[in-house]
Amino acid sequence: MLINATKTLTELKKIMNNTMKTLTLITALLFSLNVSAHERFILPSHTVLSGDKTQSVSHVASISNAIFHGDRPLGNNDKGIETKNLSMLFKRLHTVVIGPDGTSSKLSWQAFSRFSVADMQVEQSGTYRIAIVQPNTPMTTFKKSDGSFGRFFGDKGVVPEKATNVVRRTTASRVESYVSFNELNRVALKPTGQGLELTGESHPNDLFTNELIRFQLHFQGEPLNEVTEVKLVQGATRHRNQRDEQIIKTDAQGRFSLTIKQAGFYLLSANVDVEGQTGSGIDIHHYGLYATLEVFPQ
Amino acid sequence: MKNLLNTLLALYLVATALNSQQVGASELTVEVSIPKIDSQPYHKPYVSIWLETSKRKGVYTLAFWHEQSDWFKDLRQWWRKIGQQNSPAYDQVTGATKKPGRYQVKITREAFAELALPPGEYFLNVEAVREEGGREFIRQKITLGLAERKTYQKSGTHELGNIVINVTP
Repeated sequence: MLINATKTLTELKKIMNNTMKTLTLITALLFSLNVSAHERFILPSHTVLSGDKTQSVSHVASISNAIFHGDRPLGNNDKGIETKNLSMLFKRLHTVVIGPDGTSSKLSWQAFSRFSVADMQVEQSGTYRIAIVQPNTPMTTFKKSDGSFGRFFGDKGVVPEKATNVVRRTTASRVESYVSFNELNRVALKPTGQGLELTGESHPNDLFTNELIRFQLHFQGEPLNEVTEVKLVQGATRHRNQRDEQIIKTDAQGRFSLTIKQAGFYLLSANVDVEGQTGSGIDIHHYGLYATLEVFPQ
Repeated sequence: MKNLLNTLLALYLVATALNSQQVGASELTVEVSIPKIDSQPYHKPYVSIWLETSKRKGVYTLAFWHEQSDWFKDLRQWWRKIGQQNSPAYDQVTGATKKPGRYQVKITREAFAELALPPGEYFLNVEAVREEGGREFIRQKITLGLAERKTYQKSGTHELGNIVINVTP
């Protein structure tokens, strides 16, 4: 009898603990929505190319909620406009182009007022993956005593006295697009092991309307071993009254499938949050993926 | 041991029997018309005609009329199923783009013999795309290896006109 009571108590405690954890997580999530509500994307001029000679692709990248319409630049070299408060962020980003043979090269973005632009040459046949990678970036958010929202980047800032809802977080993201020249291949699609990545049976440069598309999310190089939600939005939200976001649930290995009825450019995004280790000084790590997909008509 | 040998022999016989069931003796012709389109400027369309298995795997290209390789990708279905993978394989059927008119292409008995395809259902595809114009993709399910001659008809609405497919045993 006594043993049973102890057991029940322990279990009750466990449940309480879990509930508390979930609650903290939910609060953190709610807060994170406020600070990372902006979408990011790369829009390539072409995703499928053919020919005997070297071809070029021009990319546009932007931080914008109007999908594929620019709002603010995303990346800058020294030739672009002055990006002021975004410069800090841009310094942290690096763009990697993985080629058909697996070798990486850089891509240089020039900032304009509403978007950044980069030119890329494709000489080798196969698939290229372009990724703007943001490594874990510390950020602290809080509610000031007057109720207003505050935040600072990095780990040197000071949380004001009497601030509540203090969440120390890191955000990391990959903004990706895919381009194929002549025959497709999959070398560049292999997960790099950094953050949240898109893999799976379907090739991102072989997407057609009304065909079953199967993808899988990888996290830190391994299949994502949790159920999460993937968001799909067709471009040109500016010209629609509704965003028509499609939410797709993954299975417990991060796999998901979908069919797309209308041809066009789509932005696929997903997020994973991982609780910080006790004592690490970080409450939560956010990882985001924004992948641009082009779907062709039959 | 004897049982195993018997099983193997049986399997071998079945395999040979299946293997001999090919559509080698057939001939397939496709008549396709390129419609006259009133457009200024007018560019002759890139056209491809090809055979796919019922699972949509590219098998054989009957015709590929084109100009510059930069635009091959715009024959989107042909490009993904055949074009991008094996460019030398369709060298013998390539040609310059054609002006409006009626054309006939075929898979000869010799070509069928070489392909050694099992009888059954296939897709015959016709795709056309025109610079500063539209694109059209027509797919017809056909059966190969039938005992009698079979005719299929389809009609395009923009970039392709009437299409007649004949399979003759």
